[in-house]
Amino acid sequence: MKTNTAPKELDQHVAQRTTELAAANEALKREIAERRLMEEKLRLEEKELKRSEARMAAIMDSALDCIVTIDHEGRITDFNPAAERTFGYPSGEVVGRLLADVIIPPALRMKHLEGLSRYLATGESRMLGKRLEMTAVRADGSEFPVELAITRIPLDGPPSFTGYLRDITERKRSEEDLRRSEEYLTEAQKLSLTGSFGWNVSTDEHFWSDETFRIFEYEISARVTVQMILNRVHPQDVALVRQSIARAANGEHLDYECRLLMPGGSVKYIHIVGHGTRDQEGRLEYIGAVQDVTHRRLSEQALGAVRSELARVARFTSLGALTASIAHEVNQPLSGIITNASTCLRMLAADPPNVDGARETARRTIRDGNRASEVITRLRTLFSKRDSTAESVDLNEATSEVIALSMSDLQRARITLRQELADELPPVTGDRVQIQQVILNLMLNACDAMSSVDDRPRELVIATQADGENRVRLKVRDTGVGLQPDGADKLFEAFYTTKNNGMGIGLFVSRSIIESHHGRLWASPNDGPGATFSFSIPSGFAGVTGAHKPGAVRAPCEAQEQRIGRIA
Amino acid sequence: MMYKRPLVTVVDDDESVRESLPDLLKELGYAVEAFSSAEAFLASDCIGQTRCLVLDIAMPGMTGPELQRELNNRRHAIPIVFITARKDENVRPQMLDRGAVECLFKPFSEKALMDALNSALTLN
Repeated sequence: MKTNTAPKELDQHVAQRTTELAAANEALKREIAERRLMEEKLRLEEKELKRSEARMAAIMDSALDCIVTIDHEGRITDFNPAAERTFGYPSGEVVGRLLADVIIPPALRMKHLEGLSRYLATGESRMLGKRLEMTAVRADGSEFPVELAITRIPLDGPPSFTGYLRDITERKRSEEDLRRSEEYLTEAQKLSLTGSFGWNVSTDEHFWSDETFRIFEYEISARVTVQMILNRVHPQDVALVRQSIARAANGEHLDYECRLLMPGGSVKYIHIVGHGTRDQEGRLEYIGAVQDVTHRRLSEQALGAVRSELARVARFTSLGALTASIAHEVNQPLSGIITNASTCLRMLAADPPNVDGARETARRTIRDGNRASEVITRLRTLFSKRDSTAESVDLNEATSEVIALSMSDLQRARITLRQELADELPPVTGDRVQIQQVILNLMLNACDAMSSVDDRPRELVIATQADGENRVRLKVRDTGVGLQPDGADKLFEAFYTTKNNGMGIGLFVSRSIIESHHGRLWASPNDGPGATFSFSIPSGFAGVTGAHKPGAVRAPCEAQEQRIGRIA
Repeated sequence: MMYKRPLVTVVDDDESVRESLPDLLKELGYAVEAFSSAEAFLASDCIGQTRCLVLDIAMPGMTGPELQRELNNRRHAIPIVFITARKDENVRPQMLDRGAVECLFKPFSEKALMDALNSALTLN
């Protein structure tokens, strides 16, 4: 029964095919959808890639550094505009050429190729990931220094590399200039024996130049401290230097000299100048220079010794001349007196006595006596020639002027000076120059008194103050040898001196000047070492009067000597 | 002019010496002439008769030692007693070296003067 079964089989077959077709259709649809998805993804990736490439190109185009990429054979694949400018090639001319032939100087080409092949063979590189300096060559053949960093581009396949290069000609030149200028500075410091230093006061950091280390004779690498400085300072100058350091810490301008005592026992004289500056954060930084002036100072000392010896001789000479001329003036009439008296005696002893002759010689004796007296009067007149002037004198101002004149002497004598000048001191009426002579004289005396002092600071204090209601007082205090117990009264006598180069009339003249100003000058011992000389004079309008002029002490002692010297 | 007694001549620019010394010298028994300068003495006619010259060292114009040299040049060997008001110990030996009999510092005593004159006159 074949015909009965046939349509049933066909139906079955059709149904099966239909199912199969539907399934296939479904699979196709899925595939298409997947494909669309893939395409979309690809399109996005492509877009991203393009964006990335554009970004990359923009970076390369606008980069200030040269960016050059090469493939595994060392052929240039990219050459950015900065590279074009720096090396002088258009990109099109060099892409595809060996890097070694383009920008590496002939002498270094072999090395470059060796390095590249070593890397390809072993993965070992001396250059990757480092910042290097080397020489490159331009299209025109000129060579120049470059800074170079090479990285490997992280991609599969044969390696390729990016090189970043920067022309450092300018930097090299600046470095060279700086190095040369530093060399000049070092050499100049060496030649002039001048070192420089900086001190950051808040952090207590010290910066010394090599020459400063050399002057202080410390290892150049040593870490500097204030104590290290003080260790080198001459014991007698430590007080001065401590004081100066304290002033420097306040930013005060300094300009002073001190001595160093080196470990070998030699003494150096150094001159220090410095001033404070503020850094950007407003912190105080002290900057200065220190110069070794030993040689100059020793020459000056030698010169000074000669000069003071000369001055001493000159003083003795003029004192001698003074004595001789007074003696000469007085001896003439004395000679007449004695001769006349002898004659007179002889005439009276004669038999008979020659009374008339004796009377005549006696008269001549009297006349010669008067002549001697006239000589003395004439001497006194000579000294009283200069009239004192009476003007209003600001004692502080007068003192400051004297100090200004004596500052270098004080420094040379290693004396520190403290001024304690009272505010609003009433003026005195008197002779400004004479008062200044007294102040100078007291200062010089104080300096002399301290010249032999080595075991304590040589300190001079000058103070002014109101003294009661209508007087002003000036004090000069030293840390010198002090007063001799039996000499205190004699101090103010003329020709009394404890100094081998003094005439001993300074204090005598000073007291006379002060007395002519209705004042008082006296000396008193300090509680500690040294002595204080003070004078007190009336303030206001009570100055010098004619009745109080002591004739013989008008002029300063030096001028006096000269005047007396001229009598002969 | 002839002098009966030994002539002592005083040359000194100082008036009180010129006034006082001659009187004393006369009292001591000498004849005396006094001049205020060396030049005045050289111009006078007493050079030949002067037995002793009492001569000031420092004078304006010709000084004492210069006069001494001038007299030596003229071969007048007159004994000289120098007198000076400037007391300088170095001066005396210098003067004695140059042939002076004595060098007296003013003011000098009568005795010192007499001794010096005696020495001078024994040389004649």
